[in-house]
Amino acid sequence: MANFSKQNIKGIVLPAAVLLTICVIISLALALANNVTAGRIAELEEQNQREAMSRLVKAETYEPAAYTTDASDSKSSFTYYIAKNGDEAVAYLFILSTKGYGGDVSVMTAVEPQGSVKAVAILDVSNETPGLGQNAAKESFYSQFAGKTKDISLLKNGAKADKNEIDAVTGATITSTAVTRAVNEALDQFETIKEANADVE
Amino acid sequence: MNSVTAIASILLAAILTNNMVLSKFLGICPFLGVSKKTDTAVSMSIAVILVMVVATAVTWPIYTYLLYPNYTYLETIVFILVIAAIVQLIEIVLKRYIKPVYEALGIYLPLITTNCAVLGITMLNITNELSFVESLFNALGAGLGFLLAMVLFSGIREKMETADIPAFLKGLPITLVAAALVSLSFLGFAGIGA
Amino acid sequence: MSNNKFLSVFTNGLVKENPTLRLVLGTCPTLAVTTAAINGIGMGLSATLVLVCSNLVISLLRKVIPDRVRIPAYITIIAGFVTVVQMLVKAFLPSIDKALGIYLPLIVVNCIILARAEMFASKNTPVLSVLDGLGMGIGFTAVLTIMGALRELFGAGTLFSLPITSNFISPMIVFLLPPGGFFVFGMLVAASNAIARKNGKKAVESMGCENCPAKDACGKESCAEEAAEHE
Repeated sequence: MANFSKQNIKGIVLPAAVLLTICVIISLALALANNVTAGRIAELEEQNQREAMSRLVKAETYEPAAYTTDASDSKSSFTYYIAKNGDEAVAYLFILSTKGYGGDVSVMTAVEPQGSVKAVAILDVSNETPGLGQNAAKESFYSQFAGKTKDISLLKNGAKADKNEIDAVTGATITSTAVTRAVNEALDQFETIKEANADVE
Repeated sequence: MNSVTAIASILLAAILTNNMVLSKFLGICPFLGVSKKTDTAVSMSIAVILVMVVATAVTWPIYTYLLYPNYTYLETIVFILVIAAIVQLIEIVLKRYIKPVYEALGIYLPLITTNCAVLGITMLNITNELSFVESLFNALGAGLGFLLAMVLFSGIREKMETADIPAFLKGLPITLVAAALVSLSFLGFAGIGA
Repeated sequence: MSNNKFLSVFTNGLVKENPTLRLVLGTCPTLAVTTAAINGIGMGLSATLVLVCSNLVISLLRKVIPDRVRIPAYITIIAGFVTVVQMLVKAFLPSIDKALGIYLPLIVVNCIILARAEMFASKNTPVLSVLDGLGMGIGFTAVLTIMGALRELFGAGTLFSLPITSNFISPMIVFLLPPGGFFVFGMLVAASNAIARKNGKKAVESMGCENCPAKDACGKESCAEEAAEHE
């Protein structure tokens, strides 16, 4: 009997205890490591965003703002930034993610106060195919958006007919569509803000 | 209606355009190792589908309700341990209650714990912010995509047994070149789902 | 004599038992992240760091961990180090983090690491285990870097993002796409086989359980059956 319980301790309790101890120690170590690095990761993200903003629009301040609505649809609420020189708004900045080929594509759009695109920055296309979709991060593609207005359409190889069209990246229609959709959504959001503010003013 | 098309597009994307093996390189070990015969390839794939769907059904709620938002850094360690436990559990349940299935799939189950396709799909569901139902269908689609790739590839390998292969390519190299050609054919699906 | 032993443990993973080309382990990251030389280095070094740390800890604990739970214990330890490395890469090398994406946490199921834990660290002293981890890790990194460099050169015409041929030859994008990964790896294995044959060693014929040092870990009899079916 005594032998049996001794075996039990050796066979079941001890291994379980050791495994549990290892799990606890590792989890504690991870919590500690997370404490050390989390701040820096957040800081880095903010810094990247700030850099992207200042590359897009030169302004004195970038003021975070939010648009909320009573509508229950959560998608109609969003956040954005206003680039300001003194009190004058130079541009409105929208950061949007849309679905690309391999995952999300993240795009920052700067909209002029009168409603046309000032500039576009591609924040993240790392999920797209290297050599194809990732070419959307090249200036020759995203610089096309400057000056375009609402409902930009995408052209897949062919002559330009409409002024409000841009050329897709060769071999990467899906990524190009995703970026275009993000820019169009930004323009829609800008319109929403404008309408809301018109009521106030 | 809308949700039906959404789910259909998730399934199609997971099977064809974002094929687990041929475009994401997950589960390469069984793809190259267990694909010599079609029937073993099918059994292995069915085991993978089973584990993928069950693992997703368990890890998604764990992440969403327990880990998010404060303990997301425990994702890797929790997921791999949960998958290891699930594989053990499935093995025990099958052994006790569904003997014939256990006899067919049992030997593949332990191999699946360290199969990156299973951990990969549970993590991709989280990264791509899919809902619970979408995640389940994504896992199912990924598993079916794995099955498709395995069956196609094992068919090619069975034919290759009798082919006259240049000496320097014999063995693993020609297998990899054949895999390259299969994956090239899957590039043709790239337009679907846009 | 003992110096020689340290050296041979270290160099073992570089050439003779190179984890990628000779043992054919860790193929998923080898194929997935090598679209650029720098990604190969990033993945290789991250895995090396995990491998060295986990080998050290597992070797230190080799007498404490009961045999029955050793695999879950190893996996827990490895997952812990993977998460730490992931945090460090996120905090200090964000561009590498983005390029490696999901393959960074997937180091936890990279069979090289579990295989070395099971085959080497659980049976050897901490010093030897660290050397083994270093050798294997550097061998892995070297192959990934070579493969990344080849795919980047042919697929984008650049090397470490510096233009080489991109100005006068239009790059063959297919090398960056999945088929290119399989193809380049196939050619590397063919080359390594040719060298092995020349030196009178066995070429790598196939992959699967017969080459997997973790076969005792994963399923005991299952691998034996698997291997039998391959015959």
